[in-house]
Amino acid sequence: MSPKTAQLLTAVLALVLPLILLDSSWCQGETLSCKVTSPTGAPVASAKVVVRNLATNQSTDTLSTADGTFSVPNLTSGDYEISITAQGFSPKVVKTTVTSTPAPALEISLTEQASTLPEAPSSNLPNAPSSTQPSLSDLGFPEAQTQGSLEEQARLDKRSHMLKTHQKLGLITTAPLIATVVTGFGAGGKNPSNTDRTVHAVLGSTTAGLYIATASFAIFAPKIQGTPTRGPIRVHKALAWIHGPGMILTPILGAMAFNEKSKGEKVHGIASAHGAVAIITAGAYGAALLSVSLKF
Amino acid sequence: MWSKIPTAILFLLFAASALADSQWTLQQSTLTYHVSHPMHQIDGVSHAARGKGVCHEGQCDFLIAVPVKSFDSGDSNRDLHMVQVTRGAQFPMITVRTRLPETDADSSSIHADLEIQFAGQTAQFKQVPLQLNKQGSEIKVTGTIPATLPDFKIDPPRF
Repeated sequence: MSPKTAQLLTAVLALVLPLILLDSSWCQGETLSCKVTSPTGAPVASAKVVVRNLATNQSTDTLSTADGTFSVPNLTSGDYEISITAQGFSPKVVKTTVTSTPAPALEISLTEQASTLPEAPSSNLPNAPSSTQPSLSDLGFPEAQTQGSLEEQARLDKRSHMLKTHQKLGLITTAPLIATVVTGFGAGGKNPSNTDRTVHAVLGSTTAGLYIATASFAIFAPKIQGTPTRGPIRVHKALAWIHGPGMILTPILGAMAFNEKSKGEKVHGIASAHGAVAIITAGAYGAALLSVSLKF
Repeated sequence: MWSKIPTAILFLLFAASALADSQWTLQQSTLTYHVSHPMHQIDGVSHAARGKGVCHEGQCDFLIAVPVKSFDSGDSNRDLHMVQVTRGAQFPMITVRTRLPETDADSSSIHADLEIQFAGQTAQFKQVPLQLNKQGSEIKVTGTIPATLPDFKIDPPRF
């Protein structure tokens, strides 16, 4: 196999492999999907929904989205009670059966409230409700702090999913990175073997491809505003300023060194820095891994 | 892999106010959760709880609430991940409710039935032992709630 063929094959592998290794999402149990509407059929957003399993009495709370829909995943098959409360509408309770057979989304229509009623006390307190029970509004938390946001939760879910993939790919990248460094000792110097250099180049290209995929998942993960960076993650991010440019520079210098060696020349000029840059890059990468693995 | 998040440790300092139906207000608090990880142990701490107790006809109803986002484990990335796992953006508050006889204020230890709402779920913990230390009109309450993530149908975070 010629070096150019090997490099092409490596580039293809580097692009395809991360896609194969990506975490596939999965879920357990059944999903209950419903839509909450007003008497006119308009969607009712931010309705509070409590889904209770009638057999186990376990309940799950959620809110309807802007289009009035909500879904509750990971339910076991059985009979459920859905309680819905929304401002301006009378509370509604419906019963439904969740089965393993996918069913169309259930539409629940609310009726408008004649007058504003006081908030009903929670029915599942350990003791009977009383008029003296303090409420969350008595504690003086700002409303923005107590109101849930499905959009923000979705952003956090996406962020976590992408960073987990970043973490997995980062660990996977370690294997070809170590192999590249090890084979690098036999590829340079006065060694005349083209095979050793080709193996080193293939491993290096694989490492670079995986690294780019790994970095992409961190770079493009949603940012959460108002969260200052604290703790070991600061070190992890700071080290990216060393191994990031290093991972770009190392293959470029390596390709230059490869060409010079292939022509029978001694590696010279800027290409001779390939080994040193590679070692610094690999060291910073290892330190970045350890910074989020060990407590210090 | 995060193996488990077993307990919530409470330190609460309530102060009484002189009203006909007496009231208690949470003055200081420390709430801690603990995570066991194969490579390290983690404690997340919050001092942001607010609470109130209202006593009427010999019974006191207490409500303590703390924002999920207020827990600090020393690593902002881990804290954000915990908020995601516990659905803290959708359900931003943890609330603890209990009802106790007013006479319990004079005891040095009590057992309380607690109802905790967290991550859109409600779980009840019966007969949780709490230690009380009364100093004048203030009571310091300490204890450990044996709450775990599965109690609230939360899958523990894992790699």
